[in-house]
Amino acid sequence: MIRHALAEGWLLLRSRGLISAVLALALAIPISLAGVTLSVRQWLDPVIDLGDRESVVAVLLHPRLDEAERRAWMSNQALSHPRWRLVAVEPEELANRLATWFPYLEEIMQRQGPEMLAPMVEIRTVNPETVLELKDHDEVLAVGPTSSVNQVVGRVAQRFAVVLIGIAAALVAGAVLLAAVWVHLEILRHGEEIAIMRLMGATEATVRGPFLVAVAAPALVAAVASVVSTLVAVGWMAQLAAPLGLTAGGVPAAILAGEILAAAGLPMAAALITLERHTSDGER
Amino acid sequence: MIRIRGLTKDYDRRPILRGVDLSIDAGEMVFLTGPSGVGKTTLLRMLYAAERPTAGEIWVAGSRVDTLPRSALPELRRKIGVIFQDFKLLRRKTVLENVTFVLRFHGIPPREAHRRAYNVLKRLGLHHRQSAYPESLSGGEQQRVAIARALVYQPRLILADEPTGNLDADLAAELLSLLCDINYQGATVVLATHDHALLESLPARTLVLHRGGVDYDGMWPP
Repeated sequence: MIRHALAEGWLLLRSRGLISAVLALALAIPISLAGVTLSVRQWLDPVIDLGDRESVVAVLLHPRLDEAERRAWMSNQALSHPRWRLVAVEPEELANRLATWFPYLEEIMQRQGPEMLAPMVEIRTVNPETVLELKDHDEVLAVGPTSSVNQVVGRVAQRFAVVLIGIAAALVAGAVLLAAVWVHLEILRHGEEIAIMRLMGATEATVRGPFLVAVAAPALVAAVASVVSTLVAVGWMAQLAAPLGLTAGGVPAAILAGEILAAAGLPMAAALITLERHTSDGER
Repeated sequence: MIRIRGLTKDYDRRPILRGVDLSIDAGEMVFLTGPSGVGKTTLLRMLYAAERPTAGEIWVAGSRVDTLPRSALPELRRKIGVIFQDFKLLRRKTVLENVTFVLRFHGIPPREAHRRAYNVLKRLGLHHRQSAYPESLSGGEQQRVAIARALVYQPRLILADEPTGNLDADLAAELLSLLCDINYQGATVVLATHDHALLESLPARTLVLHRGGVDYDGMWPP
């Protein structure tokens, strides 16, 4: 039976060799692109992690607060927000920072002393937006920016990763559609032949064998083409990504295995389903 | 060999056969006749399980065909040689391959299959066209290939649907003689035809289908 399947499968392939090869390569394209997309998506992981890092939000307290009142306010905030880490910025330190950014203030601060500055507290948290609630406190003069570059980059990367997964899913869906249509039409083209073989007493294995062989060969070509093109494309993109500081690795083995499974498995599954449906829709 | 009880077949609620009862013993040669559209082909198709009846029982070679599971169909069909009205030849295969192909399903080794196929083709006068493809054959030649394919594995039951439809009188007589020989060797032959000349050329049991039932069952000419 295997000999029959191979011999007849080869005849089927030979009669449609060029078209089968073109369709195999057409199937390899979306699968390979999906592999490339998922590989690139993995490069974004370290960037996405940036979004989870702590941000520092500066809070200026009212100058009328004395040292004791400031410490009491900080203790209260630490108790009610266990996830915040509050650090008081000493007036000298604040003066130094301001002098670095605004050199013209240095002279004024030296003249009037750092006590002229409002006391500042830095709050470290992974949810900087929660600090905005302090705006309503009487003790608080102002709340600094609540978003950091890290968080913005991390969030953008996260959204980009979701888009990439969506693109990969669409490409895989395209591959499923292509494999299904290709194999379905190919088997329907031989529908009469299959019906005759069944009427002559051929078993299902005898009928299906040649078609499965004829589909398996281009499916393997698609699998090889898909893996090779993914490796080449990802290697090329890694070279492009390196100057951007992205940790561009190779293609994960799971993605390559998935590509082989999809390229070889989708047409075979389509063939089995079509042959099964052809049986139930057939002469009987 | 064949037993049918209360066989009914409807197409879109239009009755073709209504409560047909008949029996055909092993080794019989039976003509099935009647006007066009009376259900001859439908009856034959139900015998080799290409169609299910709407109601009734069909027994062929000891198997109940109307309830036979799909997995058991190949075994049933390998016992039956069917000569189709529309030949049903494989277009991508030569005459010889069309005949040997079917022997593969019976597990006959290629060399033996080739020998048997050649002998049958020779008997039907087609051995010189063994390398031709069906498209290049005349209607009569295609019909003889279909006949060769049905006879090559020496089935116990032969169902022939209008097998002489595309043959001239000489070839039709030759085919009838061939089927008689096969019947003489023990095979059961059921031959559907509306060719009166053919019916009258050989006295045999004849079933006349009319208005969904068997109108006449006996020797022909009556």
